[in-house]
Amino acid sequence: MVNNAPTRQTWLVIAIMWLGILIACEKRNTSQVIDPELASSGSAEITAQLVEIPGEFPANDFYNYAYVFKYRVLKVHRGQVNQSEIFVAHYNPLKSRITVGDELSGRIGGNLERFRTGAIHRMALEEPLDTYWMGGIIDKYFEDKGTRYWAVWTNQEER
Amino acid sequence: MARIPSSARLVSFLFVSSMMASIKAGSVGAKEAQLVAEVRSKGWIVFSARTENSDWDLFLMRPDGSRLSNITKTPKLNEMGGRFSPNGEKILFRQMPMEKEFAHDQWGAQGQLVIAHSNGASPVSMGAPGEYPWASWGPDGKQVACLAKQGIQIYDLASKKLIRSMSRKGIYQQFFWSPDGKWFCGPANHSGEKWTVVRMDALTGEVNPVSSFQNCTPDWFPDSSQLIFSYRPANQEIVDGGKMAASVGEKPDAGWTQLWRADGAGKKRTLVYGEDGRHIYCGAISSDGKYVLFTRSPKDGIGLKNDGAPIGLMRLSDAPVIRGDSIALRRLTPRSNEGPVLELPTGWEPHWTSAHVEVPRGK
Repeated sequence: MVNNAPTRQTWLVIAIMWLGILIACEKRNTSQVIDPELASSGSAEITAQLVEIPGEFPANDFYNYAYVFKYRVLKVHRGQVNQSEIFVAHYNPLKSRITVGDELSGRIGGNLERFRTGAIHRMALEEPLDTYWMGGIIDKYFEDKGTRYWAVWTNQEER
Repeated sequence: MARIPSSARLVSFLFVSSMMASIKAGSVGAKEAQLVAEVRSKGWIVFSARTENSDWDLFLMRPDGSRLSNITKTPKLNEMGGRFSPNGEKILFRQMPMEKEFAHDQWGAQGQLVIAHSNGASPVSMGAPGEYPWASWGPDGKQVACLAKQGIQIYDLASKKLIRSMSRKGIYQQFFWSPDGKWFCGPANHSGEKWTVVRMDALTGEVNPVSSFQNCTPDWFPDSSQLIFSYRPANQEIVDGGKMAASVGEKPDAGWTQLWRADGAGKKRTLVYGEDGRHIYCGAISSDGKYVLFTRSPKDGIGLKNDGAPIGLMRLSDAPVIRGDSIALRRLTPRSNEGPVLELPTGWEPHWTSAHVEVPRGK
């Protein structure tokens, strides 16, 4: 006689599969949760891809600076950003966004650890840059006209 | 920022005293002695220095270092950036609680703006902390120009009313109005390069670069046609394997900052003073345009431990002056002089007036 009832091993496999599905769903939900800092910061909020890093970042051992990056805009969530490519200045890019804010920068932050070409960032932005940052700016795109945005909050997005 | 042990500050204070003693005792060479005699009666210098209480106060001295006098005496407050008004009757400076440290390149935006008689009497706070950032005297002493994120703002001092404002065009600190009132200067972001000293037309806002790449602390010559500023050239030759830089915690290839001068259009730049192993900042020209003050810091910043750096004084007619071994710099500038250079007390941000100042008898 054949016993068709599930064995203990079968139940274990089913349980592990469900657990995996639950974890995957949880992770997906986490990435989709909107960071309230993004929603409440800056005058615009976008998702954009970092097109390139045009040079080395100088050390942050003594002088603070902002570094201008070129981004391809993927989605505008809030505010007016009309160009498909924009220039965004990040403060002291060698530092993680969670630790970068200080007395000079004012309130800035995010969960981005490192800047990598091709990465997708969800950012809260302000403009014009000069109104938010009075200090050294490295702008390799200085011959390209157009608004320079100030990154207030920068989160890494899943690719 | 780490606090400096009071013993270190005391050493610094004692250094001031000992330096005064060496000048008075005539231990300087003949050329220095001649320079001492030449400048002794040429007005007054105001500068900031640490006291035995380890706070920053404002001091006055004769250009030869004599008649040293603490004119603020505020043990619970720090004062920085004293600047004489055009007629020498008043000074403006920044003041803040001594628990807060002045940053070498941010002091003009820190604390409160205070205006006093040039001997420190009757100080008046002009606003709240952070207001009137980088305030700089206008040509008649009745207005100040300030540098804020929002732009350049010109205020009437009596009424505190904003007279006019204009874009700052990338200028971000160490902002000074020219004696003739026609120009502004300061380090700026210009053509993609930070730390470019620029000159701005005070009416039109038009900007021209004076010196690009790693420049700061610009100030005006009395005729407003030239600027004195600090410049750290790129790719400086490292002759000691970087030991001197490493001894003060700097990178071997960081280079040393030198004192330069240029015309306002930035067409002609020349070395004034250089010394490998020292960062030369705080250039300030005498009222007659013949002499220059500067600080000689062994480390980038306000001295080795944020306690100031020896102030030097030299004739502009002796430039270029190169001191110390400075092997690399001497190779680049074979025709230079050794000085003379007066070594004045340790301090920061000196400024010079030819005006008469009623100063209590000091050391």
